[in-house]
Amino acid sequence: MSSSSYLRRFFHTTPSETGPIKLTQKRIYILPTRNGVILSIVLFAMLMGAINYNNSLTYILTFLLISVAFVSMLHTWRNLYGLYLDIGKCTPVHVGSLIEVPVSISNKGSQTRLALNIAWPNKEPIQFDLKPNELQWVKLTLPTDHRGYQTLGKLTIYSQFPLGLFHAWSRLQFKQDCLVYAFPAKNGQLPSKNSQQDGSANSGMTGSDDFVGLRNYNSGDSLRHINWKALAKEQGLFTKQFSGNQSDELVLSWNQTGSTDTEQCISQLTRWVIEAEQAGLRYGLHLPGQRLPTKQGRSHRHQCLSALALYRK
Amino acid sequence: MYFRRKKNKETKYRDDQAEPPHSGIIWLLGALLLVIIPHLLRLPLWMSASCFIIITWRILVEYKHWPLPSAFVKLVITLGLVAITYYQFHTFNGLAPGSALLTIMLCLKLLEMKTIRDTMVVVFLGYFLIAVSFLFDQSILFGFYLFSVVLALTTALVILNHPQASTSHHKYYLNLASSMLLQAIPLMLIMFVLFPRISGPLWSLPKNKTSAIIGLNDQMNIGEITQIAGSEEVAFRVKFNSPPPSAKDLYWRGPVLWYTNGRRWQGVHDQFQLHNLTPKEPIAFSGEGIDYTVTLQPHQKKWLFALDLPKDIPDIAKLGIDYQLLAETPVTNVTRYSITSYPQYTTGDAWPFVLQAGLQLPDHRNPKTRALASQWSQQSLKPQQIVNKALALFREQPYFYTRTPPALSSHDPIDEFLFTSRRGFCEHYAASFVTLMRAASIPARVVTGYQGGEFNPMGDYLIVRQSRAHAWAEVWLEHQGWVRVDPTAAIPNERVESFVDTQRFLTIIPEQLMGNHSTWVTQQLLQLRNSWDAVNHEWNQWVIGYGSDRQLQLLDKLGLGKLTAQQLIIMMIVLIAALITSTLIYLLVQRKSTGDPVSDGYNLFCNKLSGIGITRQPWQGPQDYNELACRQLPHLKQKINTITQYYIALRYSPTKRYQTEKFIQLVKRFKP
Amino acid sequence: MYQYTDDAIKQINQIVLGKPQQIRLSLCCLLAQGHLLIEDVPGVGKTVLSHVLATTLGLDFNRIQFTSDLLPADILGCAVYEREQGNFRFHFGPIFSQVILADEINRATPRAQSALLEAMEEQQVSIEGNTHKLRTPFFVIATQNPGFQVGTFPLPESQLDRFLMRIKLGYPDYQAERRLLAGEDPRRSMEQLKPVMDEEILSKLQQRVHQIHISDALLDYVQVLLNFSRESPHYLTGLSPRAGLALVHAARAWAMIHHRNHVLPEDIQELLPYVAAHRLQPSNEMRSNNQDELMAPLEEVAIP
Repeated sequence: MSSSSYLRRFFHTTPSETGPIKLTQKRIYILPTRNGVILSIVLFAMLMGAINYNNSLTYILTFLLISVAFVSMLHTWRNLYGLYLDIGKCTPVHVGSLIEVPVSISNKGSQTRLALNIAWPNKEPIQFDLKPNELQWVKLTLPTDHRGYQTLGKLTIYSQFPLGLFHAWSRLQFKQDCLVYAFPAKNGQLPSKNSQQDGSANSGMTGSDDFVGLRNYNSGDSLRHINWKALAKEQGLFTKQFSGNQSDELVLSWNQTGSTDTEQCISQLTRWVIEAEQAGLRYGLHLPGQRLPTKQGRSHRHQCLSALALYRK
Repeated sequence: MYFRRKKNKETKYRDDQAEPPHSGIIWLLGALLLVIIPHLLRLPLWMSASCFIIITWRILVEYKHWPLPSAFVKLVITLGLVAITYYQFHTFNGLAPGSALLTIMLCLKLLEMKTIRDTMVVVFLGYFLIAVSFLFDQSILFGFYLFSVVLALTTALVILNHPQASTSHHKYYLNLASSMLLQAIPLMLIMFVLFPRISGPLWSLPKNKTSAIIGLNDQMNIGEITQIAGSEEVAFRVKFNSPPPSAKDLYWRGPVLWYTNGRRWQGVHDQFQLHNLTPKEPIAFSGEGIDYTVTLQPHQKKWLFALDLPKDIPDIAKLGIDYQLLAETPVTNVTRYSITSYPQYTTGDAWPFVLQAGLQLPDHRNPKTRALASQWSQQSLKPQQIVNKALALFREQPYFYTRTPPALSSHDPIDEFLFTSRRGFCEHYAASFVTLMRAASIPARVVTGYQGGEFNPMGDYLIVRQSRAHAWAEVWLEHQGWVRVDPTAAIPNERVESFVDTQRFLTIIPEQLMGNHSTWVTQQLLQLRNSWDAVNHEWNQWVIGYGSDRQLQLLDKLGLGKLTAQQLIIMMIVLIAALITSTLIYLLVQRKSTGDPVSDGYNLFCNKLSGIGITRQPWQGPQDYNELACRQLPHLKQKINTITQYYIALRYSPTKRYQTEKFIQLVKRFKP
Repeated sequence: MYQYTDDAIKQINQIVLGKPQQIRLSLCCLLAQGHLLIEDVPGVGKTVLSHVLATTLGLDFNRIQFTSDLLPADILGCAVYEREQGNFRFHFGPIFSQVILADEINRATPRAQSALLEAMEEQQVSIEGNTHKLRTPFFVIATQNPGFQVGTFPLPESQLDRFLMRIKLGYPDYQAERRLLAGEDPRRSMEQLKPVMDEEILSKLQQRVHQIHISDALLDYVQVLLNFSRESPHYLTGLSPRAGLALVHAARAWAMIHHRNHVLPEDIQELLPYVAAHRLQPSNEMRSNNQDELMAPLEEVAIP
């Protein structure tokens, strides 16, 4: 590695990386802590005393403590050296709540590593220990303030173990964006079906209540569709499926919100998507320039919410 | 210092403001107790008690989760203790008050110890107090005690830095701390050996009033001491570089006492400034010289001891007019010096005022003694004959040697001793003899010092203990100068009370000293004592006595004698940097041993291939890696295949057809 | 002994074209005494594969087509009243065979599914108080349509755990498909098949699998992998101890097929996707159910 890139990394201007990242000697920095400086002052006073009284044992103690400080520097450094860090996928959350970023730290050596800290800069760290050949997942939280992709800051892993005289650290910028859904509006009232101006999505569906089949009950399924007969026979909980079940279909669109402010619209639609999914409805989403078909289920919900989160971003 | 720090909630997170682990505090307090104990033994009782109470109370706080005292209470306690300390010592200057203040500050710091930062400061203060303890005592046992306390403090420091410290891992922390201390030793040795030593202090040392010395004193009061306890403490040790002298020549000269008021005898230094003068005539030495090196225990005086009479004296000393060796500064540390002495000498003519001082006697005291002496001198005897007469008196009359003489309380203690009690030890005989001589107009003086010594075959050196302190006399005779006379030696053995005292003038070999009175147990004890003393001697030689001269001597041996202080420091820094760098490099390139030779061998193989760019991923199996390597290095295909085959067979298969040694050999020979 | 497995693989390869890996896997599954789940669209040769496998190994073969109206009795059999004798006689269902192809298992109701799965697990059938042992060796190849199709009952995870492996056949490659198209109907050539072994040899082979050595280092590796799956946020739940056992056992059989008396890390790595993928659920909706992607974390675990 050339010296210029080394400097660039020191000043934290490196591009983000994909994991797993191994902490090598070029990534670990080490400096004395405040306590280390205090000890050096104490040691200087001791050395002066040793010289003045020409006291051999004080000399020995002073030199021994200086040496222990040096040795502890190597220990602190080695506490981080050779760790592997990687970042897991983060589950999307809504604006305002904390996003959880799973970070894996793996100790592939035969050495126990104690009192490791991992944190966003200047935030309270998460502390953990690693046994030999142990891999740990640590969940770091991050506040969210806007919808769309949130880039992660630089992650700091540091340690002062064993003597707290030196602070060894490494800063890592992972190439990972976490999706943040828009903030859901307060009003949870779903728009009535009559107000659906945009009926084109519905027109293809006939209103016939054709029984299609049974499927396992999912939480949130309408109670009306539970196969009660089967349940009475103790065969289990099943949900009857019908095609073209118009009464449960809903298309959410921009116009229904009745607002002109983009953010408010998105916020309201986000709320409706959550409510619709919870009510067990089949729902679609029409945004300017984007149409999501009428569907149901967690992955559909995610598609709708991410479309909203990323709208004009 | 003792007030709570203002904490701003908006400030960024600081690690050392967190709460320290409970078990760490317990360790710390335990270690601190060990640190403070030696100080407490020295401090006034009330101080020791309050420190002890504070530490005990702090331990209870940890266990019972009591709150720490408020700022006001802390302030009151602090001011109170500091004020009482000042009242006790009248100063904060000096070693004793300084160490007392430090001890108290450490105890007080415990009252406000809350964050990890506080505890670490306490640990550092603990280290400092240990260093202060060494100023009082540098003995080998104390050294070991305090270095084990250093280990305890370091362990506490390790635990304090592990917030999730659990009590079940104490052994791990202890191991970590001890291995760190052991790893630090090479670096420490480099610094200890190479750090340039300055002879003489940086600033003037405050007088150490508190420490008293046992054995020799610079004055003696006849008849006041009714019991002498022979302290077994070592005064100095002597290593002879030439054949040792016979026992009769083993007189180690110390302070010479001239002035007497009839009871008290003291040196002349104060009155006449004699010690700055040189003798009138140089000493005429004859016979064989004795080369030896003395390792002197610190005794806070300037006295250096030498056999009569020294010729080649060390740089640090000068010879007084009474032939006593004096150092330039008080001996506060173990001091080594080499001298050549000649048992045969003639001092020749003396200054008239010296002879004058050698005749001083108070008027109107000890009249009977003076009468006896003048009776002898009227017989117009020669001085030598008077000396013999006096010795004959002690030899023939019923004079006894005892360590527990009766008190001589009369106005004329010499008279009382010579004519009434007739029981005494060396001081009595020396003083009486000198008084007799002076009364007979023969210049005489009392010489104090040590006599004899015991030979330690373990270390091949002579030990001189405080119990060997002795007083004898010197008379000035025409043409001969000052001649040593030991009146105590005139007492025949049957009139010596204790057996040991009969032996003291005979020999220096302890086995023979004990003679046929020794049993197997005493022999063993003696052996043990000798071994222990030999260890102490080495400790003094190489640890405590390692000063500027010893350093020069060692550097000379290493061929570095010509280096200046700056060069030494540069060399020290270079060596330390080299050691740390090489450790770092070792850590970087080390193949982590797995404890399994097969795995280690395979790792070596992978490292060799990785050196030319064929890196094995941690998750890559041996066969996949083999395929990769063979594809990259088709010309080595066979060797790579064989190694992989061996590895797989040894590591994964149950058959024992392959030999581990062969596999390791193959890997070692493998050159990509 | 190796020659039997070699011959079997060779023979099956002549009929089922371009699927050597899947053939080895199915044989491995059979040797490890586990059941096989094939998830794929119809018409890629699932039936042919199972039929050829059965014939080659000299085993009985039965096929059960699962439909939404299939009843447990259609699988297990039922007691039939015989008027002449005046008593009930147990009428053995299709499950009393050695190799069973349970086709489109997710078309049937959970009741029918569980009837089969319980029989698979317990190796016996209990009907009206009578217990009937199933024949050995007993090997179920179940096929499942991928994805959620209308009117299907996807197997719940707890049931999926009972299959040792899940494989996908996939479309044949260009060469193989060409040979298929140009050649004769594989069903006809099947009639000329001769078994290369019999029940006895097969059960001996199955015993041999147990004797394949797996070193402690590899057991460590398996444990690290299991642990990883349990702690990684990639998955909702980790692998069960049963999955770990299945992995070890399958790896042994795999080693035997490859003429080895010991297991290698590569065996475990190779088999892990087939053994583990159907037992793991990705925790994130953004991740597809793609087998390869699911196993990406495999590269994060070092071989101890």
